[in-house]
Parts: sequence; structure tokens; C-alpha cells
Amino acid sequence: MSVPMNVRAARAIMWTYLATGLTIFLLMLLLGIAMRAEQAGWITLAPGSFYSMLSLHGIGMIVAMAIAGLGTLWYFVNREIQLDARIAYTAYGFFVAGVVCVIVAVFPGHYGALWTMLYPLPFIGTYWPSWATGVWLIGNALAIAGFVILCAQMLAALLARYGGFRGVLAIDYVFQHRRFSEEGKEPPPPQMFAAAITAIDGLISSALGMLYGIAMIVHWIDPSVPLNPLWAKNLIYQFGHTFANLTIYIAVAGVYVGLAHCTKRKYHTSVPLVVAWWGTLLFVILAYFHHLYMDFVQNEALQYIGEIASYLAAIPVVVVTIFSGVMLVHRSGLRWGLGALFLYAGMIGWVVGGIAAVLDATIPINFDLHNTLWVPGHFHTYLLEGVLLFILGWMFVQLEQRSGTLSSLLTRWLVGIGIFGGGALFVLGFYIAGAAGVPRRYAIEPAPGPQMASIATIGAIIVLAGFLAMVFEALRMARLPATEANA
Amino acid sequence: MPGLLVLKIFLGVAIVAIAAMVAMALYGASSPVPQEVVFSKGYAVRRYWLVAVLVGAAAVFAISVPHFPYPSAATTGRHYTIIARQYFFALPAVIPVNTPVVFDVTSADVNHGFGIYNPRGRLIGQVQAMPDYVNHLPFDFHVPGRYTVRCLEYCGIGHAAMQGSFFVR
Ligand code: HEM
Ligand SMILES: [Cu+2]
Repeated sequence: MSVPMNVRAARAIMWTYLATGLTIFLLMLLLGIAMRAEQAGWITLAPGSFYSMLSLHGIGMIVAMAIAGLGTLWYFVNREIQLDARIAYTAYGFFVAGVVCVIVAVFPGHYGALWTMLYPLPFIGTYWPSWATGVWLIGNALAIAGFVILCAQMLAALLARYGGFRGVLAIDYVFQHRRFSEEGKEPPPPQMFAAAITAIDGLISSALGMLYGIAMIVHWIDPSVPLNPLWAKNLIYQFGHTFANLTIYIAVAGVYVGLAHCTKRKYHTSVPLVVAWWGTLLFVILAYFHHLYMDFVQNEALQYIGEIASYLAAIPVVVVTIFSGVMLVHRSGLRWGLGALFLYAGMIGWVVGGIAAVLDATIPINFDLHNTLWVPGHFHTYLLEGVLLFILGWMFVQLEQRSGTLSSLLTRWLVGIGIFGGGALFVLGFYIAGAAGVPRRYAIEPAPGPQMASIATIGAIIVLAGFLAMVFEALRMARLPATEANA
Repeated sequence: MPGLLVLKIFLGVAIVAIAAMVAMALYGASSPVPQEVVFSKGYAVRRYWLVAVLVGAAAVFAISVPHFPYPSAATTGRHYTIIARQYFFALPAVIPVNTPVVFDVTSADVNHGFGIYNPRGRLIGQVQAMPDYVNHLPFDFHVPGRYTVRCLEYCGIGHAAMQGSFFVR
């Protein structure tokens, strides 16, 4: 039978992506702990090592989350319209090749210009050989290529399935609501908006990222070709910010599907939800201007747009999604397995990180917080306690459904305290130090940086313990026999 | 806005949000009701809630605009040139107190940041130092003392040690 074959192939892709993403995550987590421990003064790394590790950690983590989330998103799209599995494996090949290049650029290459590779930094006063910069750039280009392949495949499928952009974006559903429902039509389910927005904005900003990458590779080959530093900043932040931001929208699809599953309720597409996603579609590609608030030569109108776009890209979709998610759980009688626990806690992390982000996206506040540890504070909140939890949540929903069991209470407490409790301690260290003005990206920090780093390192080690407990539990559940319905 | 004040606002709002979400999950958990019961009430609330949040955001935007740190056509003051390079700043020794000044900030090599820390060690403002461009940062110091400057854009291996100072008198 062809349908189960397709489902089995899609599951294989999802689990391949998930396992790869989470493995990279674990490696990057170890680097993260080492960096925080150095900032705390617990260990001393060779000069430059901190920045090389930071380069790898920053890009590796984001790519890990993207890979893990994209496998799931691809699986969801495949449920609506059959996708060619070979394309997903091709994209996977590009991702893996990209990750390998980036690792080689750092170990042994010692590349240390961070994910931002802010022109002209990777070429001036470096402590690493020029080839490392080249391999880093090529690795980035390969990973972007993998992302582009998946985005293009998903977008093409969605356009075919729902009748062009008009159908994918549910235009008629919003503007001709009455007629739409009278004709018995249905808008796409919520997770398809996550897929569509990821694919559209992903393609736009990948094009800009590629442009930057190619310009940099040209300059690497022939240093007499000059680039404009302001343009360079705009391009790299457009790509980097959008890509990092999209990891949330990729992973939130797991909330729409997973939470509905746990609560045995339906997560409906509604008009506010669609309009909120339009906001994200339009504004997420402009929000990056907040990275240039402190570049006073940037056109001032763009600064205003940056503040407005930052609010409108995030607020509506968070408010609508979370509100509906809370309604879904409220008095549903759901049983709190690790799946539901992760998904719900992830929504909390998303909100909390979002509040910190919106504050920092306000220009007079940014004046005092830009490039302080507040910034890693906010994004670690929504990445570690949001995106990661959405991914783990969906994974456990699958495992629970397959085996028909939930984890023991003790396991849930251990994993919960580890990942949520340790995580809270870890991010609090960033917020407090950032509010006190401690700069980000300092191997050695001024006071109160080191004190806060000590607390944060303890938090991060607790996260590691919780994460390992989670991995053992996942492996245990995966080995349980499948229930009849899922055999 | 001072960072520690922002921290207090953040913690306050975050704690309320966390408490609300946990409460909604726990309240009535032992007596489940059909989805329609929760949603008919919830959808009505959601609309107002969304509007309220957006109005709040618009208000924050409106309040923030007059406090933007950017120079305008009306900006005046004595100009001081700041040149950043790997890994130090060329700074003036003394800046007059209670006098409008403008820092003309640039870089001789890669991107740096010009972050001003007051005598109590708090970050009170910043601007980027970019090659090929000059950023104009208007400032008015009201407290005399020794101010520290730290680099606020990653610039290479010496980034964390890149600092300088000036006196306000
Ligand atoms: C407990 C787990 C983690 C630890 C201990 C950790 C540790 C760190 C540390 C110490 C920094 C440098 C902060 C600074 O001084 O600027 C950092 C930066 C960063 N981390 Fe993490 N991190 C963790 C999880 C994550 C996750 C889950 C993600 C993303 C999914 C992530 C993405 C990043 C990024 C993008 C940066 C910025 C890199 C840059 O400044 O160029 N981290 N992390
Ligand atoms: Cu620097």
C-alpha cells in the first residue's frame, strides 16, 4: 500500500532531522557551558578560543534548532500533500555538509568572527588563517542551500494544494468569510501558516544572505574589491535575524498539532490567527532594523520602521497563538505527559522571551541595552525555553502516542526541574548582568559579570542534567512496544 | 532608560504572565468541559485582549519617540572626534559638565561600539563606531567624574579588553 509507505518514509525523515538537530544541540550545549564557565572564571581557555567557540555555538545552535524543526514541519506539510522524500534527503545532505565545514573552520581552523562575520572583521587583524574564513563562508552557503531547497519544496506544494498565494494565505477566508464558509470551504490548518511564512520569508532572506555570502567570498578571493560596511550590516542582520526568528515559527507548528493531540481538542484556524500570521509574514523581514538602532547613519525612517515592525512581527502571533493554546489546555482534562508539559512550558518561555525582546526593541531602552548580555538573555529564553521545548514536546507527543504510556512522575519532575528550573537560573544571569550594563561577547567580563556567570553556569549544568534525563527517557520510550493502533 | 529599571518592569510583567498561564492550566483541571464551552467565552475575550495589547504597543511607541537618541537638525554642541581601532579608543581627556556635546564616532579598521559607563559603572548610552562612516551622538553630562568607555561591538581577540576613559568636569 502506497499511503503507509509514504507515512513511514516521512516519519523516517522527521526522526532523522530530529535526531541530527538534537545531537548538534547537545554538542553546542557543552560548548555553551564551557564559555559560561570561562566568563565565571572557573576555567581558562586559550586566547581566542572563547570567540571561536562562540562562533560555532551561535551558528550551530540556530542550525540545530532549524534542522530539528524543519523535519517536523516537512512531515506536517507531507500530511496535506505528498512530498518527494529524495528532496528532503538532498537538503539534509547540504545541511550536514554545511555543519561539517563550519566545524572544520573552527576546529582546527580557529575561525573567530562569530556568525555575524561583520565586514570587514573576518579579514582584518584576525588570529586565524584566511582559509578558515573561506571554509566558514562556504559552510554557511551550503546550509543556506539546504534551507532554500526545503523552503522551495514546501512552498511549491502548498501553492499547488491550496490554490496559489490567495489560498495559502487564506485571503478569501478573511475577506469573504461568509461566502467562503457557505461554499463549505476550509482554510489551511494553523501549522500550514507556519510552513508558508517560513518558506516565503525564508526564501526572501536566504536570497539576501546568499548575496552577502557571495560578496564576502568575492572579497575573500580578491581583497581589492571593497564592500560597503553599512550595506554589509543590513544584509547580514536581515538574514541572521530573520533566520533565527523563523526557528520559532518553524517549531510552533508542533504546538498547533501536538497540543491539539494531547487535549483531544481542535486547534482551529480563525480570522485573527490568519491576520496575525500576515503580520509576521510582512514584518518579520523588516524587524531586523532593530539590530542597527545604534547605527545613527542609518536612515532614520528605517529606525521607526524597525520599532514598529519588531512589535507587529511578534505581538499578534504570540498573543493569538498563546491565547488559543491556553484555551485548548484550559479544563481539557489533559494528562500532563512530558509532551504536553514541554509544549505548554515552551509557550511560557516564548512569552517571557518575547516580553524581554519587545522591551529591547524600544529604541530608548535599546540605547542602554544594545549589545549587553540582555540580548543573549532574551534569545536564550525563547530558544532554550521556547523553540527547544516545542521540538521536544512534539517528539514526546509522538513517543507517548506510539507506546500508549506517559513518563513516571519522578521522571517528569527530574526533567522539568532540570530544563525549566536550570534554564530559568541560566537566563536570569544574562538578564541581571545585561541590565547592569555588562557587554555581551566578552571572554572576560567586568563586574557583576563573573558573579552572574557563576550562577548561570550552575543553571546550565542543571539544564544539561535535565536534558540527559530527557534523552534517556526518550530512548526508553522509543524501545517500548508500539500499541496495536500504531504498530 | 536605565537597565535596572527595565529589569524590574520585565520581571514584573513576566511573573504576571507566567502566573496567569499556570493558573489557566491548573484552574478547573479536574472538571473538564467540552471545548465549545471554553472557546465561546475565550474567543470573545481574545478579540479585546488582542486590541488592548496592540493599543498598549502603540502607546509605548508614541511615548518612546521623543526619547530617541538620534541627532536632529536642531542638535548643537561642541564636537569631539572619537576614533576606535583594534583595540583602543582615541578619546578626549576632558568633557565639560552640563554642556551639550556631540561625539563624532568612527573607526579606523573594523566595527566597534562606543559605550559610555558613568562613574558608578552603569551603561548610559552608546553608538556604533563604523569604518567609512561617522555617527553623531549628542550627549549632555550632568554628573562630574571619571567615565569609562567600553567596546560594544565584537571586533576581534582584544574586544573584551578594549576600553578607555575620560573625565567630566
Ligand atoms: C544551556 C544551554 C546554553 C548555554 C550554556 C549557552 C551559553 C551561551 C553563552 C555563554 C553565550 C555567549 C554570551 C555572550 O557573552 O555574548 C551564548 C551565545 C549564544 N547562544 Fe547559547 N547557550 C545555550 C543554549 C543556546 C540555545 C538553545 C541556542 C539557540 C537555539 C543558543 C544560541 C546562541 C546564540 C545565537 C548566541 C550568540 C552568539 C553570538 O553572540 O555571536 N544558545 N550562549
Ligand atoms: Cu570590540
